[in-house]
Amino acid sequence: MREKEQLLRDIGMADFVLIELALYLDTHPHDRRAQEYFNHYNRIKNQMEKEFSQKYFPLNLRLTDCSDEWRWGGAPLPWEGECA
Amino acid sequence: MREHFDGKNIDRFPIAMAYVPWQEFEGMYDDLEKAYCAGTIFPELDKPFTGRRCVS
Repeated sequence: MREKEQLLRDIGMADFVLIELALYLDTHPHDRRAQEYFNHYNRIKNQMEKEFSQKYFPLNLRLTDCSDEWRWGGAPLPWEGECA
Repeated sequence: MREHFDGKNIDRFPIAMAYVPWQEFEGMYDDLEKAYCAGTIFPELDKPFTGRRCVS
């Protein structure tokens, strides 16, 4: 699996963990350990997203920095089979 | 909610009511690949479907 697919998959797994922790924290809002896990994986996911967006293409508008060129439109479109 | 039903006096609970034990955070899978495929990060919720009734 190429590095790009692996990074995309890792972002997806980190996002999954955050959703799971959020579901738990919904009913246990004061659980300190769960909050720490959430902050930990949130930082990791943000970092991976930033790295992916700089290396390949911005995953969403928030991650788009148009320092030199407008790269938002450059992302492959879902039906082009790139994001499989 | 947890204070009312600590589970010790379960025989005095009103009948015909459903009770779900309160989940405590005991940690999560650190192998995210395994958690991703299991569909949960909580080992205690990772109950494989065995085609029979409840799995502890």
